[in-house]
Amino acid sequence: MKKVLEGSHAVAEAVRLSRVTVISAYPITPQTHIIEYLSDYVADGTLKASFLKVESEHSAIASLVGAASCGVRTFTSSSSQGLALMHEILHWTSGARLPIVMAEVNRALAPGWNIWADQLDSLSQRDTGWIQLYCEHGQEVLDTVFLAYRLAEAVSLPVMVIMDAFFLSHTYEPVDVPEQELVDRFLPAFKPKFQVDADNLVALSPLVTPNFYMEMRHNMAKAMEESILQLAEIEEDFSNIFGRYYGPIEPFLCDDAEIIMVTSGTVTGTSRQVIQELREKGEKVGLLKIKLFRPFPSEIIRKALGPAKKIAIIDRNFSFGAGGIFAQEVRAAMCNLSDCPQIFGYIAGLGGRDVTTDLLEDIYWRTKKSEVLSEESIWMGLQEENHAVERS
Amino acid sequence: MLEIRFHGRGGQGTVIATVMLAKAFFKVGYQVQSFPVFGVERRGAPVEAYIRADKKDIFIRTNVYTPDHVVVQDRTLLQSIDATRGLKQGGWILINSPEPPSDLRPFAGFKLAFIDANAIALNHQLGARTQPIVNTSMIGAFARLFKTPHMTAVAEAIREEVPVEAEANIGAAEDAYNEVQLVGMIEGKNVS
Amino acid sequence: MTEKKVPSKVTPLFFARSYLSTEDNKTGSWRFLRPRYEEKTAPCSVACPAGEDIGRIEALTNQGMFKEAWETILRENPFPGVCGSVCYHPCEAVCNRGEFDEAVAINAMERFLADTARKNEFKPFLTNLSAKKEKIAVVGGGPSGLSAAYFLTLLGYNCDVFEAETEPGGVLRWGIPQYRLPLPVLERDISLIKDQGVQIKTGIHISKEFLKEAGESYNAVFIGCGYSRSRELEIPGEDLKGIKDGLAFLNRIRHGEKPRLDGLSVIIGGGNTAIDVARSVVRLGGTPLIAYRRRKQDMPAFSEEIELALDEGVVLKELVIPVSVVPDKGDYIVTLHYMRIMGEDDRGRALVEPDGNKTEEMRVKNVFKAIGEETAESWCVPPHKGEGVVTLNNSTLDCRTGSAVLVFGGDLTNEIKSVVHAVASGKEAAIALDILFREGLDTVESKIRDCLVGNGSFCSMEIYMKGPRFDRSSHVVSYSEINADYFYLSQRITQPRLLREERLATFDEVNLKVSASMAIKETERCFNCGLCNQCDNCYLFCPDLSIVRDKTPQGRHINYDYCKGCGICVVECPRNAMILEEETNEESAGRESCGS
Repeated sequence: MKKVLEGSHAVAEAVRLSRVTVISAYPITPQTHIIEYLSDYVADGTLKASFLKVESEHSAIASLVGAASCGVRTFTSSSSQGLALMHEILHWTSGARLPIVMAEVNRALAPGWNIWADQLDSLSQRDTGWIQLYCEHGQEVLDTVFLAYRLAEAVSLPVMVIMDAFFLSHTYEPVDVPEQELVDRFLPAFKPKFQVDADNLVALSPLVTPNFYMEMRHNMAKAMEESILQLAEIEEDFSNIFGRYYGPIEPFLCDDAEIIMVTSGTVTGTSRQVIQELREKGEKVGLLKIKLFRPFPSEIIRKALGPAKKIAIIDRNFSFGAGGIFAQEVRAAMCNLSDCPQIFGYIAGLGGRDVTTDLLEDIYWRTKKSEVLSEESIWMGLQEENHAVERS
Repeated sequence: MLEIRFHGRGGQGTVIATVMLAKAFFKVGYQVQSFPVFGVERRGAPVEAYIRADKKDIFIRTNVYTPDHVVVQDRTLLQSIDATRGLKQGGWILINSPEPPSDLRPFAGFKLAFIDANAIALNHQLGARTQPIVNTSMIGAFARLFKTPHMTAVAEAIREEVPVEAEANIGAAEDAYNEVQLVGMIEGKNVS
Repeated sequence: MTEKKVPSKVTPLFFARSYLSTEDNKTGSWRFLRPRYEEKTAPCSVACPAGEDIGRIEALTNQGMFKEAWETILRENPFPGVCGSVCYHPCEAVCNRGEFDEAVAINAMERFLADTARKNEFKPFLTNLSAKKEKIAVVGGGPSGLSAAYFLTLLGYNCDVFEAETEPGGVLRWGIPQYRLPLPVLERDISLIKDQGVQIKTGIHISKEFLKEAGESYNAVFIGCGYSRSRELEIPGEDLKGIKDGLAFLNRIRHGEKPRLDGLSVIIGGGNTAIDVARSVVRLGGTPLIAYRRRKQDMPAFSEEIELALDEGVVLKELVIPVSVVPDKGDYIVTLHYMRIMGEDDRGRALVEPDGNKTEEMRVKNVFKAIGEETAESWCVPPHKGEGVVTLNNSTLDCRTGSAVLVFGGDLTNEIKSVVHAVASGKEAAIALDILFREGLDTVESKIRDCLVGNGSFCSMEIYMKGPRFDRSSHVVSYSEINADYFYLSQRITQPRLLREERLATFDEVNLKVSASMAIKETERCFNCGLCNQCDNCYLFCPDLSIVRDKTPQGRHINYDYCKGCGICVVECPRNAMILEEETNEESAGRESCGS
């Protein structure tokens, strides 16, 4: 049934419908609403789960390592500094091959203290072995939680479902909340591939010598690789039941596009509108939304972007000393193409600054007019006076 | 696409007002979006929240810069904010006030409506004398502007969002719907 | 459920997991050093003539187990009240805590336990061994005689104590002023000795003839009649009427007399009797002056007593000897001759000789002599070592007569004439007699050595009776062996006392009571050197979880299947109650059976 729901509420509904058994989380704006809804569900019996109230994010994820090792479906949620505090255990979770799902609300890292949208928190965790799925709207976030559990449990790797602070987490919009019976069809009860069993004792995550460590890591790498195909199959299953499909990437009006803009998260939605307007003006422009960031679907991206002349990548994040992170990844994926399009990297919307339609149009025209790459990363919308001070 | 901006103070239920109104629009067949301007949320501080409503899918996810209409939940805000900022010419500006502003010049080029939502709220025993809960009265009054969304949808939305004292809130909305004063277009040159 | 397509293959998991329990890795096989629990000996317990298990007593007190702590004293000393009041506490002088901040107030704790036992009317759980046929007579109901009788009774002997005075207690009753040792404290200790089964016959004066016939009724006679006669000054005028005997003066006060003593009184001597007389004079309104032939630091009196006396206004005149006492118009003219220091003897005391003809005359109201005591009767002098005579540390056995064995003890044999040495003597005599009766004279000396505490010269009854202390190492723990990281600097309690003004007019006890909370706080300071107080550091620190709690008195044991001998437990033991030894082959061979 379609309801007008806040993005955070959509996540909580999905977690409820996924019949999660253990939730452990620590509040941090802008993620707090998610766990508030969930703690209500657990308190009133709507969701039969244990909600662990822990003293930090580190403990939240660490307690789920224990719970997931016991073979139950688990959920946590965090943001920004909280996610950073989990960092150590994020590696542990993937190394231990635990299918934990986390909702990650993209928020800037401090200082300056900032609670608004910025992707650097989740992108800083790109090497932790977690699968990362970036979402555009409330429906997608709800659906992606279901996909995440299927995928995590298929390949035994943890999954982050990632959404922009406020622009998605706190925005009310119509979301189709499916019936439990449909969700159960898509996402049956979790059948763990291993679990702690009091009658058959097992030591999990013990010492691994150089004799085996590489093989263990290679096995993880293969699982990551296979998750692309797995996700495709799971999504097919999903669309058969629910009639919705997202894909690891989504090309939008790309067929004859000379310039393709690459986005992730909520910027995608605004870009769709801008690109439609530009198309109406006769511009040959397309949009590529990247949903699956880890594993990075390089091959699919190469195919989608290869025919274009220019690519404009919009990053709501910045890796200091390197550039926008999506831009880096796309460049790395494209670099061996014999006829590689020119790739422009744009930095926009850090710390929750609005990425407006005007700004996106500006990016398009700049890209179109530029013959050569002037800068590795072009910072968009810097305030003139501050910028001037910086340059003086 | 319809874009509406609500002005209020922290604690007046401004965000809930936009959620209820968005739900009411949704019930009458609109795609909707509602979201607050996110900041440090303190009681009494000026807050803004937005609604987008359209018969087509809404893709845009930016703040609202050029609203079609504006709702002001607390007339004292008019001293400190520019309620007509970005407001499209001919757009409605609905103010919670027992009487029209004495100086109409800032509203020139817009349509003015006012409603004594404080009195209605207190009449329905919503909130305290110092802090009447006016949000349901304001959306009731707004519904009257275009008779959309209709009062049945507004009442349903209130019942969903405000389970406590729902009937009193619906009563307040209905009263506001009936009592709102539509001054209409303010002629003259905008001097704000 | 709809039919699903067969999903594409997922590589089987390969990750860190082991179906072997971590217990399969018997890290004990790596061990070449072996820790074990070994309790050791605390220096305080070595210094205590009564051999009290002080470290244990403090630990029990700290845990609020006051009765158990008090009983632990009673196993070695029947006089917790008396010693808590008047003991000169050599234990505190060697306390390892003294090297950290200040020694533990052991003496005050003993008094606290005695007071607590008295207030709550604790009855000790101490059973006498099965009855023995031998009967023993004890001559003298002072501290050594009562101690001998008490320990002999514990060992199962039938004892008769013969006391010349009307009440038992000897010097405790008649020689120590009430402000140091209140009567109820003494009587409580004596009543417990009686409760244990000791028979005390008072008003019986024993003569030399008694010894000749004793063999008919008794197998042994303990002679502990003490030094009851004051020594002579051997100066002109000494026999003058009015020159008072210090001991007799104290005795009169204990009998209830309170003579008014105006003006200056000179007390000749430097021992505890001299101090007791001087402080009594203060309380009777007089002005005392102690004349001593050496320096203050050479005085045999306990230094704490000297300081209290000076605080109460007693004047000390060092390096003088009296040479004449002449009566003059109701007063006395005392002539003091100045001495000078020639050097020091091997114990650090000044060697003195008269300093030319330098003298000083003083007009005084009273003269007290208190230059020490001696035995009243010649038959009380212990024989020298020889055939049939065994000279022990604190007593002498005389088996020459063939009838009753004579045992000399208390002041008769002790170099330091203190109550606690009297206890040591009575205990040693009791143990020596038991060895003599059970195993014969030849084994007495070696068996006595076996029950000495640590490397000291005092016996422990508990060690003799093979109680838990018997298993301890005799190694005396030094400060360097304490892990001081586990202790915080903390102030020693200040013994609460009567105000000086209050003291001057009354014979009320100077030391006030210590509260239970103060006692618990003070005993917290004790290192419990060499003794396990169940702190669990070994358990917490063991990286192999090899410390296993159990219900033994130790409370835990080491699982040698997993103990790899890293020694962390020994290092982190704050009190050196563990030891790390080289692994021997026999122990390695036994390892299989050691584990749980």
